[in-house]
Amino acid sequence: MSRRVLIVDDNPGFRRLARRLLEDDGFEVVGAVGDASQALLATGELAPEVILLDVNLPDASGFALAARIARERPGVAVLLTSTHSHQDFDELAVSSGALGFLPKDDLSGAEVERLLR
Amino acid sequence: MGYVCGTVSGDPMMTRGEYRAVVRAELAVAQILAASAAGESLYPRLLAAIGESLGWDFGAWWEASDESGTLVCVETWRSGSLQDGDFDTLTRRTALALGVGLPGRVWATGAPAWIPDLREDPNFPRGAAAALAGLRSGFAFPVQSARIALGAIEMFCSRVHEPDEELLETMAILGSQLGQLIERGRAEREVRESNERRRAILEAALDCVITIDERGRVVEFNPAAERTFGYRSDEAIGTEMAELIVPPALRGRHRAGLSRLLATGEHRIIDRRLELTGMRSDGCEFPVELTVTRIDLPGPPLFTGYVRDITERKRAEAELRASRARIVDAGDEARRRLERDLHDGAQARLVNLGLALRLARAKLEQPREAGPLLDEAIEELAQTTSELREFARGIHPAVLTEGGLAPALRALAARSRVPVQLGELPQFRVPSSVEATVYFLVAEALTNATRYSGADRVEINIDAAHQRVRVEVRDDGRGGADPAVGSGLRGLADRVAALDGSFEVLSPTGVGTTLRAVIPSG
Repeated sequence: MSRRVLIVDDNPGFRRLARRLLEDDGFEVVGAVGDASQALLATGELAPEVILLDVNLPDASGFALAARIARERPGVAVLLTSTHSHQDFDELAVSSGALGFLPKDDLSGAEVERLLR
Repeated sequence: MGYVCGTVSGDPMMTRGEYRAVVRAELAVAQILAASAAGESLYPRLLAAIGESLGWDFGAWWEASDESGTLVCVETWRSGSLQDGDFDTLTRRTALALGVGLPGRVWATGAPAWIPDLREDPNFPRGAAAALAGLRSGFAFPVQSARIALGAIEMFCSRVHEPDEELLETMAILGSQLGQLIERGRAEREVRESNERRRAILEAALDCVITIDERGRVVEFNPAAERTFGYRSDEAIGTEMAELIVPPALRGRHRAGLSRLLATGEHRIIDRRLELTGMRSDGCEFPVELTVTRIDLPGPPLFTGYVRDITERKRAEAELRASRARIVDAGDEARRRLERDLHDGAQARLVNLGLALRLARAKLEQPREAGPLLDEAIEELAQTTSELREFARGIHPAVLTEGGLAPALRALAARSRVPVQLGELPQFRVPSSVEATVYFLVAEALTNATRYSGADRVEINIDAAHQRVRVEVRDDGRGGADPAVGSGLRGLADRVAALDGSFEVLSPTGVGTTLRAVIPSG
């Protein structure tokens, strides 16, 4: 059974491409939203297993949102993402409660699976 | 006049008339001295008193001149019966060396002298003129203090007089009294002038000068102190200084310091420049710079404080520190903005481009799906290129570096969404820091005119001459721009100030906004 993914990013181009890419790689993208408040709503309603979460959102920091989701919904795996590199954000991502950090240009189903293992 | 001529020198018996004349002269001199007002010249009246009392015809007052080392005549007197004025004129013009003439020999010996017959005296240069005037006998006596010979007084008579030792002796005593009086007067005048000079310096001083006695009470409070602290000097004098101008919280320390200084001589403030807090009459406290010196005079100790209100200097220093901090902050903020713009703009587009190409690559076998993905990638690339171009220009426009203000401002005007009327532009280069500041000032003004002021038209005028660049950007928008709000205008002000220029924002509501700067470019 395919994994249920929620994409949270304020860049519509990225939301569209990431959805196609993950769907091509066999994920079920249950939603794609552009800010933190919509992300919280969608997390409640769409019950994603994985959230691909941009670190810069217009209404909140991705790290803070990751911490909140980790606290409130410990079963959901949060993967933080941005155009930055692993060296920049791996540490911050893990300490925020996210499962890991995924640079946007490395995005693929295989990479998501690897982090989830 | 009851004076009898021809008295022989050394005659033990003075005639009654002679005695009366000498006493009259002494009395007259004493009356003049007693009734004299300060600063009044007594010489004419004293000469007249002596001459008239003795019944003689001409008198002159000679003073030693320090500069020439000669005796010069400073005053003359003649009786009503002496008609000839030439001798008077000659006397007034004469200067005598030590030992020369009647006054010269008196000055040299310090003793009175008598010439019974002027025509026969070998040491009397004015002899011919005296003869023409009909003067026959003369005497002179020194005007001297115990310390110094100040000059001489001479008297002439148109009758022949044999030397009169009694008269000479009396006149010599009179001369030394006058000498003492004159010396005391000079000393008093010097003290008075010195005090007046000191007073004038204190009055004119821009610094507050406050002197206190050993009890800490004010004994001197100059006009600058009055202006600075808000007390009149008559209110301040006699009051304890600590009560007057030291803030309550610091008074204990001030008093303890003064007591320690008086008891032990130990001090932390004398002859040092200190920054402290002062207090005005309304209780408001302000920073002062203070130097205290101890006045070395006999008697109880006095201390003089020189106090300067450094509120303005402190404010300027604080403003300079704040401005430096803002410049650093503005640099940091600019870098943060660059990072954010790059990240959100070109970098995000390039990531998307990468994703799109990877998707297209995966769908090479399905051209219907790959085609639109490639089109999307091409569009994304064009957007990225354009964005990067804008971005680079925002950091520092290449046209400014290459061509200077004229082409850079024309390009700025051409891109502006609000129509721009561009005045004459300088055809020569100015220092790059000045060019950049002018460019960013115009860019900021155009951004504000477009985004906030709703202007229909912007006018830009640049005048580069006389080692400075003057720039003015005027829009016809709604005005009301406040340089204190928002970092843009504040940053421009700091930037212009860092180049020693002046910057102003005129933005009356409803009239429009004018930014104006004058920046040295020499």
